[in-house]
Amino acid sequence: MAHRGSAVVQKVALPALAFLLALLSGGILIALSDPLVLPLIGSPWKFVKAAFRSAGKAYLALFQGSFFDTNLMTHGSFISGFYPFSETLVIAAPLILAGLSVALAFRAGLFNIGAQGQFIFGAIGASYIGFKFELPPVLHVLFAILGAILLSAIWGGLVGLLKARTGAHEVIVTIMLNYVAAYFLLWLLKTELFLRPGRLDPLAPPINQSAHLPHLLGKDLRVNAGLLIALGAAFFLWWLLNRSTWGFRFRAVGANAAAARTAGISVPFVTTAVMAIAGGLAGLGGAVQTLGTQYALTTDAAGSFGFDAITVALLGRANPIGTVFAAILFGGLRAGGSTMQANTQTPIDIVLVIQALIVLFISAPALVKYIFRLRDIKTGSSVVSKGWNG
Amino acid sequence: MKDMGSLGGTLKKSLRYVAVLAATTFAVGIIVAPTATAATSVKACLALDTGGVDDHSFNESAWLGANSMKSSKIAVEYLPAASSADFAPNIKKFADKGCTIIIGVGFQISAAIVDSAKLNPKINYAIVDDGGLDHGPKGDQWPGTKVANVKALEFATDQSSFLAGYLAAGYSKTGKVATYGGMAFPSVTIFMNGYAKGVAYYNKVKGKSVKVLGWDTVKQDGTFVGDFSSLNIALQVSKSFEQQGADVIFPVAGGLGAATAGQSLKDKKSVTIWVDSDGFKVVPQYRSVLLSSVIKRVDNSVAAAIKETAAGKFSGTGYMGTLANKGTVLGPYHDLAKKVPAKLQNEIRAIAKKIKSGALKV
Repeated sequence: MAHRGSAVVQKVALPALAFLLALLSGGILIALSDPLVLPLIGSPWKFVKAAFRSAGKAYLALFQGSFFDTNLMTHGSFISGFYPFSETLVIAAPLILAGLSVALAFRAGLFNIGAQGQFIFGAIGASYIGFKFELPPVLHVLFAILGAILLSAIWGGLVGLLKARTGAHEVIVTIMLNYVAAYFLLWLLKTELFLRPGRLDPLAPPINQSAHLPHLLGKDLRVNAGLLIALGAAFFLWWLLNRSTWGFRFRAVGANAAAARTAGISVPFVTTAVMAIAGGLAGLGGAVQTLGTQYALTTDAAGSFGFDAITVALLGRANPIGTVFAAILFGGLRAGGSTMQANTQTPIDIVLVIQALIVLFISAPALVKYIFRLRDIKTGSSVVSKGWNG
Repeated sequence: MKDMGSLGGTLKKSLRYVAVLAATTFAVGIIVAPTATAATSVKACLALDTGGVDDHSFNESAWLGANSMKSSKIAVEYLPAASSADFAPNIKKFADKGCTIIIGVGFQISAAIVDSAKLNPKINYAIVDDGGLDHGPKGDQWPGTKVANVKALEFATDQSSFLAGYLAAGYSKTGKVATYGGMAFPSVTIFMNGYAKGVAYYNKVKGKSVKVLGWDTVKQDGTFVGDFSSLNIALQVSKSFEQQGADVIFPVAGGLGAATAGQSLKDKKSVTIWVDSDGFKVVPQYRSVLLSSVIKRVDNSVAAAIKETAAGKFSGTGYMGTLANKGTVLGPYHDLAKKVPAKLQNEIRAIAKKIKSGALKV
């Protein structure tokens, strides 16, 4: 086996095996939660057959809901069959951006739990510029995105500044600021400024057509330019971390802040800069979600993107490319989960269990190694950041 | 790096093992999965609002109603929404898989229902608590245009609230009763308006002057919490009503009623009229202070829409739940029945009859 090949295997092995283990455990849960399976426990062969059928059907629906469904081809062309994959990517795009935000902070030794709040501020910025202004198409999108990045970068940078100046721990500050952002959004949507004319419920006016992110594959598939923005951001972050001086400084602070300081790197500046960029990335996710799929700001504009982002960054080993794949995987689970429920009555909550199991297996490399009898594999440390006392 | 070869070998073997297992699961699943034979002729699909199927509120009620129609001919299913981002994709999923009728639960999902209905004129749609009108792409066309295949499931809860108002006025010792809402949605204020009118009717018939706090029928405005989740604000509102002397409070704010009932229980200065469902069953801990409940039978409306579809008689004509068709009722007095004079009970029964027959307009 070529040296480079093994390195890739090394990197991918743990997440891939964790995913497979989670799928297998999830399959057992699906089978056991199926009311048609458990009563057959008396006759082992029937029981096993029914269990396999139950799990197989559920996973088939998961696949149909997240990647390709032949039944949908009747609605148009071959491309229509890929509607589910388009949905996967629609969810993945903002998730990639929020995930990158967390991943970048991880690399600089910071725990950014605040992607949710930063996401909300991005959505607010994009929404306001999107419905308030009348601008030419491309310009309007750019303006809205810039506004979103600016607002969320300030929101994120604030955390970095607080840490740098006062030593306030970023975990606590970001968690608390998530609440502030969520309630700020609730309040904002009740003000005259953001209330949709004719409506009393918290719903902002719709984004003008000129600020919509264009669809990539025709109007029926919702996958939009937000995906390209997300991939672009991932490439930018990869370049920043691996090819630029600043990225080197970020990583140096992440590896050993004291040593970095001795080497002449300004740790307070790096902390602030990293949190600002991280905020901007999560805010960009909010902009993509608002301008690309939602077209209007609601109280739950951020869904659970900011929290899922932590898991995604963890699964992606805080690596930009890994984060992209992890986000697509999670997007697929989310998109397929509801099809699984619609087609097989398997509760969508199973998907959350699978997500949780993935994280559990990733954070317990020894367990995975034991199960697969991998004595020698270097799974690396599961800890991508130093966290509490970092 | 000397061990690489053997490591690769072990890894490969494990991966192969897992791959075979996964492939077997998948293959067996496909082989044994029965082909989709549609023995049922009607598929009723519920697109829920956020909050889950067991929200003790309209999602749960709608699902119970749908389940009551389940039979060998009628299949029912639902999709929960994690956030408002799920509304449109969930409805599209239902449209793609051939649902006969798609029912959106809650006014928030209305726009997504209307959009889908326009794309699929052959599928039947219904929407709970909203007129289901098309407000245009920018959502600024009011009141909006009718969409032929959308059935609005709405409730004349002012009728049942009218009875509640009469009850409150007759029960009150202090001559003051109160109400407040979650937010000033039409589906909320209709309760408050009916309640205040019920009190006014009592005053007219009896020549009394019982006052209503929290709603002004002339200005069509009143006291609102501002959302449906701020228990502390609901508690403040309830306390201030008690301080002003109100001894019957009717909160129209979903689960926030618990704050009012809790206050009633603590100070014993007031009783609470529950909203939407029978509070005696939903919040048994407050049984001793629940005078009655203004019940909105979302389940009946959903069942009615499915029944109509199954009979092949679906129409876009709206369903209006009234006292007459039991779409909305004043609930039983339960534990407090002894405290409601028989005379008052009889009067309320008589008024209900008048409203049902149309002799009395609310």
